[in-house]
Amino acid sequence: MSGWEQTADTAGAVLLLLGAAVSLLGAIGMLRLPDVLSRGHAATNPQSLGMLLVLAGVALRLRSGIDLGTLGLIGFFQLLTGPVAAHLVARVAYRTGHVGREGLLFDELDEQLSGRPPADGEPR
Amino acid sequence: MTLKFRDPELPPLSCAVGHGRVLELPLITWLAVVWVLLWGNLSWANVITGFAVAVVLCLLFPLPSVDLGLRLHPLGIARLVVHLLWDMYTSGLKVSRQMFDSRPYRAAVLAVPLRCRSDLMLTATAVAVSNVPDGSVVEVRRSNATLFVHILEADDPDAADRARRSVWRMEELTVRAFGDRDEIARVSRAPRPEGGGR
Repeated sequence: MSGWEQTADTAGAVLLLLGAAVSLLGAIGMLRLPDVLSRGHAATNPQSLGMLLVLAGVALRLRSGIDLGTLGLIGFFQLLTGPVAAHLVARVAYRTGHVGREGLLFDELDEQLSGRPPADGEPR
Repeated sequence: MTLKFRDPELPPLSCAVGHGRVLELPLITWLAVVWVLLWGNLSWANVITGFAVAVVLCLLFPLPSVDLGLRLHPLGIARLVVHLLWDMYTSGLKVSRQMFDSRPYRAAVLAVPLRCRSDLMLTATAVAVSNVPDGSVVEVRRSNATLFVHILEADDPDAADRARRSVWRMEELTVRAFGDRDEIARVSRAPRPEGGGR
């Protein structure tokens, strides 16, 4: 095994570990944050970053043309579909009133949906 | 089978088949590429079956033919990708900090009116915004092109402004990557500071 292959393998392993750690962070965030909408933040942002890191790690280990294309396809579809799923969860959570125990500080969507004047700091 | 490559009523690079059915060649090519990549093996058999499956799929499940108005600007795409990666990194850090912060925070839902109006740009911006800090899209209003984002730490007085600016910046990057000339002219103007009916 030549030198740069060794380097690529090591870098790939590091990226895999890093990606797994970032994804774990997202999972911990889902446990720690108090309500559905806040958990949505933890579920989307660190997860897609972790997924990209894992894909980059796998790419460094595989190193063949068509596999890179497949990995790129996985990343593309994940980045495209993840936000859609997160948006649907957030939308349902908002519309069923799961906005946390303390409510929202201000809510500019409620103003537009109900036509009510803004209620400052009032829990929904 | 009538081939109408130059029919102005059809989307570019497509041909009409039979009774008003339209085969869009870019879509078929993309499906065939996905097929080959999924098999993980570039051979003539895979390419041919890929195209065959794509044509059958397009005939069985016809999509409404829409003019996406998609333009590709390589420089804009490169800038969008770099910004997205950097924003994903910073937003990962930010969310991690927030989840280990024991201080209670107040969340809020913020309305951000966008400058571009086309469906594609609205969708692409919403997807891009989902990946930046303070970006969890709760609702998208197509009628007045407004995104509603859920932000953490709304009790910080600058947070709302920062979130609005980051959405507008993401919109400009997205449109400069995929938009047509009209849309780019729109996002070059300064965003309106206050939301509401446009």
